[in-house]
Amino acid sequence: MMRPLTRGLRDASSILGMLGALVLLAALAAAHAQTAVTRDDVIAKLDHFETAAELDIPALRQQALERSRSRSKNEPPPSKRPPIAPDLTKLPTFNVDIQFDVDTPIVLPASYQTVGRIADALTHGSLLPYNFLIVGHVESTGRRDNNVLLSQRRADAIRDILVNTFKIPAKRLQTVGLGEEQLLDPARPNAPVNNQMEIMTVSKVAETEPPAHPAPAAAAKKKPAKKR
Amino acid sequence: MVRGGFFVFVIALTAPSLAAAETMSFGDAAATLAKTCGADITANCRGVNLDSSRLKECLSRNRDVISADCKASYFSTLDAIQKRIAARVTVANACSREIVKVCGGSTKETSKAVPCLVSAKGVSRNCAQAITDAGYQ
Repeated sequence: MMRPLTRGLRDASSILGMLGALVLLAALAAAHAQTAVTRDDVIAKLDHFETAAELDIPALRQQALERSRSRSKNEPPPSKRPPIAPDLTKLPTFNVDIQFDVDTPIVLPASYQTVGRIADALTHGSLLPYNFLIVGHVESTGRRDNNVLLSQRRADAIRDILVNTFKIPAKRLQTVGLGEEQLLDPARPNAPVNNQMEIMTVSKVAETEPPAHPAPAAAAKKKPAKKR
Repeated sequence: MVRGGFFVFVIALTAPSLAAAETMSFGDAAATLAKTCGADITANCRGVNLDSSRLKECLSRNRDVISADCKASYFSTLDAIQKRIAARVTVANACSREIVKVCGGSTKETSKAVPCLVSAKGVSRNCAQAITDAGYQ
């Protein structure tokens, strides 16, 4: 593909054509990036980490639940709600579309590959030193408190798949469901983008704890190997 | 599960050369599963999440009605995921010298040594293969 293009460089009139081709390629690449998640996309977004954020996940869950149940008349509309956990927006984040069956935490086969790629990324050497937070969101439709619960169940489901099917150590993964309390696109509360999940790098794996990364089964199997 | 683990252990112990068997990435395995069995899962296993053992159980329970493609492949596809997981154990064996001598780590905590292993020079061929198979690189 490149060779005919470089040859065409001599010809001034073909420069325009080449620019057109480049624009097209760039557009194609962008479209591709949106549809298929690659392992390296995930790694590039998550493989850096500066300071440990002070996150109290159980408290955050509680806050989200309580705010979603608030019946106060002064409650702002979805587009005007302040984000419930602004600190999270400072963390390295990978945003990902995962399709679930309606109102359930069941991942549709169309998204199996995406979840598999996330598992590939979390297994990769560059992400092994880190722990992650899986954040669930749901667009602003239906009952607000149900959305918090649904997003929590979905975040838990992704964690369970990563832990049970791909044997990512459970210790590396925390979850929180923010429902519609921290819309990804507040200007359009019903936009599908608000159903995205976020994966965030939250801390480094502790140095001292012995069975940090390997699956428990793996750790058990290593003992006999030493005898050799 | 236990029997599978034992099998893996026996392989790892007796035939390190088997480590040369290449594994499939999780993403590719999951994509294959969705491609060959996606429709069958939607039709027969709605409500079952991407969980190896539950899907295996549901698909085998429905083997009379699922597509031929799915029937022929789901077992080996789910197995591909297990193989890649099992490859992590192989790293501890194939790279024991590198983990201890080059990376100053312990084979009890292989994954902590992985970032070092990946960038280390002069790792044995078996070790390099094991690192690739486990998806560490």
